[in-house]
Amino acid sequence: MREIDQFDESDLPDFCRKPTVVLGVGNTLFGDDGFGCAVVDYVEAHYRVPETVCLLDAGTGVRKLLFTLCLSTARPQRLLILDAIDAGRSPGEIFEIDPAEIPPVKLDDFSMHQLPTSNLLRELQETCGVEVRVLACQTGPLPEEISQGLSQAVSGAVSQAAEWLVSEYFPSTTVPRGDLCQTTC
Amino acid sequence: MAKTLVIQPVTRIEGHAKVTIQLNDAGNVDTARVNVIELRGFEKFCLGRPVEDLPRITPRICGVCPWSHHLASAKACDAVFGVEPPPSGKKLRELCNSIAYMEEHILHFYFLAGADFLLGPDADYSIRNVIGVLQAAPDIARKVVKVRHMCAHMLEVLAGKAIHPQAAVPGGFSKPLAPAERDQLRKNADDALELAKFSIAFAKENVFPKYFEVVKSLGVITTGFIGTVKENGALNLYDGKLRLMTSKGAYQDFPYDRYTEFISEHIESWSYLKFPYAKQWGEGFSMDVENPKGVYRANTLARINVCDFIDTPLAQAELEEFRAKFGRPAQLTLLYHWARLIELLYNAENTIRLLDDPEITSTETRVKVTPRAARGVGCTEAPRGTLIHDYTTDANGLITNVNLIVGTTHNNAPINMSVTQAAKGLIHDGKYDQGVLNTVEMSIRAYDPCFSCATHRLDGKLSVKLDIFDADGKLLGTLAN
Repeated sequence: MREIDQFDESDLPDFCRKPTVVLGVGNTLFGDDGFGCAVVDYVEAHYRVPETVCLLDAGTGVRKLLFTLCLSTARPQRLLILDAIDAGRSPGEIFEIDPAEIPPVKLDDFSMHQLPTSNLLRELQETCGVEVRVLACQTGPLPEEISQGLSQAVSGAVSQAAEWLVSEYFPSTTVPRGDLCQTTC
Repeated sequence: MAKTLVIQPVTRIEGHAKVTIQLNDAGNVDTARVNVIELRGFEKFCLGRPVEDLPRITPRICGVCPWSHHLASAKACDAVFGVEPPPSGKKLRELCNSIAYMEEHILHFYFLAGADFLLGPDADYSIRNVIGVLQAAPDIARKVVKVRHMCAHMLEVLAGKAIHPQAAVPGGFSKPLAPAERDQLRKNADDALELAKFSIAFAKENVFPKYFEVVKSLGVITTGFIGTVKENGALNLYDGKLRLMTSKGAYQDFPYDRYTEFISEHIESWSYLKFPYAKQWGEGFSMDVENPKGVYRANTLARINVCDFIDTPLAQAELEEFRAKFGRPAQLTLLYHWARLIELLYNAENTIRLLDDPEITSTETRVKVTPRAARGVGCTEAPRGTLIHDYTTDANGLITNVNLIVGTTHNNAPINMSVTQAAKGLIHDGKYDQGVLNTVEMSIRAYDPCFSCATHRLDGKLSVKLDIFDADGKLLGTLAN
């Protein structure tokens, strides 16, 4: 096989090259499952995201992104997954999950839809040296039929999760867009 | 004592499914069924929406093959509005389709099915995954990774974003390709072609011969096939006419907007997913492995079987070699993998051909559309099979009816038949182990199924497990991966 030309890392997608990557995960067609995507939308609308951060609505395509990250020569230093999950808590409750504590029964499943695709998160954390964190929101009952929109409880948690994200990942470089607007408009 | 084995879900396929194997009193396989759960409501969800919203909504159904839904939906919108996109708009769509295909086929061969072949079906479950492949063949993995990166990057250049694409619009394509961008993509395409050439040569030398006994026996069934061809009978994955081929190779062509005249859908009480079958053959429907009726297959092997030829030279040469070995139509289920690599080569060549076409950089990529009351059908070949979007609108262009048939649904009956055949050949006297069960799963993975798409369901709570029931439904034991 002819040696494939050296790949210019500047051609890599942002989620491989930027030091911090935040992925909103879920399906917006399934009620509260769209929580992660809603947080990304909220942050984009209300905050200025620094150049060092890749903030992405990964939707149902998260597995491909994580797969690419796992195999990439360039990776972020920090990865945050925003996801919806049913952990038996109160709907709208936000909590952090340590990928290392995800039950082993889920670890080796390579379904493309297994969110947050825990085996790849484990590989990124343990083998690839990426700091991986998962911020989850407890869902209400997911709809039996396709239905857009978050429940009231989960919708209320979106701004709370956004504030946490900003304070943890870009506190000094970011100000809310609203404040910018007041001073410049 | 009779037992039921349940493999839930099948691992390393796109989505989740549960395989139930019913053993008889002698411990041999009585029946095997692949069960999926359907999430209802997509059609209802669409009612009253502007039809032009659907190319943006449908990629959200599933993140595995969003480009296929995006393009089939855009084509259905073209038909609803009664417009024909300009040549550059069509070519840009087809270019995206070919690149997305390469990304998908590389993923499947090397990292979803590849683990079975590179590591062996009996390998420990904890390494029989993508990381295991990386460790087993690091040099190959590095090349594969580079090209996958390139494919993702090419789609970003073409469409602005690789996830949840929005660039295809009713009437064409929203983003012309600049000449400088074309030149950049052209270099990437050369590398993709090199990997495609390497992949099929590598597989023919190192993979298929090693597992040829498995290929000849696992999941083998005899069915008809469906796929898309151009007017001249050449393989095409973006547009053309549908060709329905019997198991003996006779075929009939028809425009895809007449699919309801040729295909009907059977319902089984134990499955939420319907079973499309060829009603045009007039023999009804049966999944009897020895004597199936109306059953046809979609996806790579089907497309390679139904086309008369491939209009790119390297893929055509591979097709000729394939047919010399296996005939037409080829029936061995694991040949889906071989056919997938021929398609990978075709898409790499097609990408170069499209990029070399001067028309690809034309700025006239779309035409205006006007709402009207109409029905429109869009059809593409998704990596997992023929994908049909069928929309009807009122005079304001608002949706009044929607029907989707996705690739995996076409293969519902064949997958069940292949599982039954594989299970019968591998489980005897009630004896089974993890390797045997994974081999059964291999027969499913050959079809590259996407059950979440087929059933419109995303469920992250299932895990891999094996339940054993006796004839009375009593749980005897559970094994988990």
